[in-house]
Amino acid sequence: MEQKLYIRILKYILVLVLALAFFFPVYWIFTMAFKPYVEWTAAAGKIYWYPNNPTLDNFRTIFSKQLNMNAMSETAVRPIINSLIVSIVGTIIAMVAGVLAAYGISRFKAGGSLPFSLLQLRMFPPIAIIIPIMIMWAFLRMIDKWYGLVIIYGVVTLPFATWLMKTFFDDIPNELNEAAVVDGCSNLGAFLKVVLPLARGGIASTALFVFILNWSDFLIALVLTDRRWTTIPVHISKLQSALVGQLYGPKAALGLIAAVPPIVLGILIQKYLVRGLTFGAIKK
Amino acid sequence: MKIPDGKRGKALSKKNKNPIPMEHAFVDNARFGLYLVLPAQVMLIFIVVFPMLSAIYLSLTQWSPMAAAGSRWYEAYKYWGWLHNYWALIRDKDFLLAVLRTVIIVAVVVPIEFLLGLALSFLFLDKFPGKKILHSLILIPMMIVPAVAGFTFYMLFQNVGPINAVLSSILARPLDIPWLTGKVLAIISIMIVDIWEWTPLMFLILLSGLMSLPEDQINAAVILGASRWQRFRLITFPLLKPVITIALIIRGMEAIKIFDPIWIMTTGGPGTSTETISVYMYKHGFKFLKWSWVSAGGILIMIIISIASIYALKPIRAKEEEQAA
Repeated sequence: MEQKLYIRILKYILVLVLALAFFFPVYWIFTMAFKPYVEWTAAAGKIYWYPNNPTLDNFRTIFSKQLNMNAMSETAVRPIINSLIVSIVGTIIAMVAGVLAAYGISRFKAGGSLPFSLLQLRMFPPIAIIIPIMIMWAFLRMIDKWYGLVIIYGVVTLPFATWLMKTFFDDIPNELNEAAVVDGCSNLGAFLKVVLPLARGGIASTALFVFILNWSDFLIALVLTDRRWTTIPVHISKLQSALVGQLYGPKAALGLIAAVPPIVLGILIQKYLVRGLTFGAIKK
Repeated sequence: MKIPDGKRGKALSKKNKNPIPMEHAFVDNARFGLYLVLPAQVMLIFIVVFPMLSAIYLSLTQWSPMAAAGSRWYEAYKYWGWLHNYWALIRDKDFLLAVLRTVIIVAVVVPIEFLLGLALSFLFLDKFPGKKILHSLILIPMMIVPAVAGFTFYMLFQNVGPINAVLSSILARPLDIPWLTGKVLAIISIMIVDIWEWTPLMFLILLSGLMSLPEDQINAAVILGASRWQRFRLITFPLLKPVITIALIIRGMEAIKIFDPIWIMTTGGPGTSTETISVYMYKHGFKFLKWSWVSAGGILIMIIISIASIYALKPIRAKEEEQAA
């Protein structure tokens, strides 16, 4: 069923236009990060479609303490380290609980309604429950502490970790660990020595997926951190100057730093993105 | 030793070829399974049950951190107010408007994302030069941190910004559209960000659904002389339906929570005209410190969503049971 040539060309043009439209904002933040002050400031009164004099000034600005616009007292170094620490530890928590629960659910039908409670948890807007959590955290002195943040991250991404890992465990034939049990392995031994090594790829993909989710959070960090443990998105939202207003250039530079890891990791695990985001309901 | 659950034991004995006596294996397995899910259960209870109970408790009071100097949250009973918060909330104009706005945003963006994603996925069934690169370019938005996406569009939507510039060069007359400060325009801008960020997800889901369709049925229809529209309506669409349902549910679930781009772009303004549920709750909880009020709001939202989720999660549950069988 060959289509007429002009239809195919029209369709191709449509694809190109749509792809460009979707890519334009990405292009914009990328180039903005390398524009010098005169090109990004609103005072310029005109638009620079590409950096005429590309510079690393914006990156210098966010990493230097003494700023030429004397806007901020804090550099972006802490928020970047904070983001890394809380995302990684949050991922570890979600993965440990998630891998175990997923195996229990997949192999032993354990947990009863747990899998669906987890899905339901995912439906609730986190804001609906964040005030009591904040009170609880204030009580336990966990506000603006890394461990206060990572526990919430672990719970919020637990549904994804559990459901995605479950699909990987479902793919491993039951006979393999039964054989190990016949050979005298305990259940635990079979899990550690047979199943986990087989699920290595799945564990790595799930961990990267959960990391992306933690890294992308804004609301929870906004509520539960104050000064010491702000993450990159919170820092971006605070990056303002009394003198020049919105610091487009430096904000874009920091935004670019925030955007790169999820894009790289996302492309790396592209195969499992759909599976992860649909809780394994769509397995392709 | 007795098998605790006769039926399950029997079903298990068919599969299980352990040399160890069946009953032991069953009890061991059940116990091992219990240990496995324990950490997840504990986390869920720790984070969900306690906050839920204290939210219910607070929601029945008039307490706020500002209520009286030094009164702690557990002393909130001194400000007991029964269902006053709930009764006031369901008559509060701002709250109702925030709910309505959220519903409108979800009702607009999810179908648009679906249709755009569907169109894109059909376009990507063909072969054309540069397909892989274009595919990756389209996927990037969904991997961008939502707060960064919000900031990017904040730049794009400025009055002297690229979007106005492009539009005025297309229409050949100077435009000065106040994207972020117009009451209705600001909501449209927010919808555009959401559509930009999440159409790629729809596209990805639908494309993988389309690619896994059995080809022989479609080929047979071609031989029988079915038109394109007939092929889509009678074959592709019914086969794709489960995928479509799941895509819509997942996207709807996430769209209700929308917060990050709004907070970055307009912080709910101008006035309250872009306040969604999450923005309303954040503002009242952390700007106005009306904690008992927001707790009641949270409980109301959870009740509504719980009822909705029974229906919404049905297809996923059905799929799960089908796979288990």
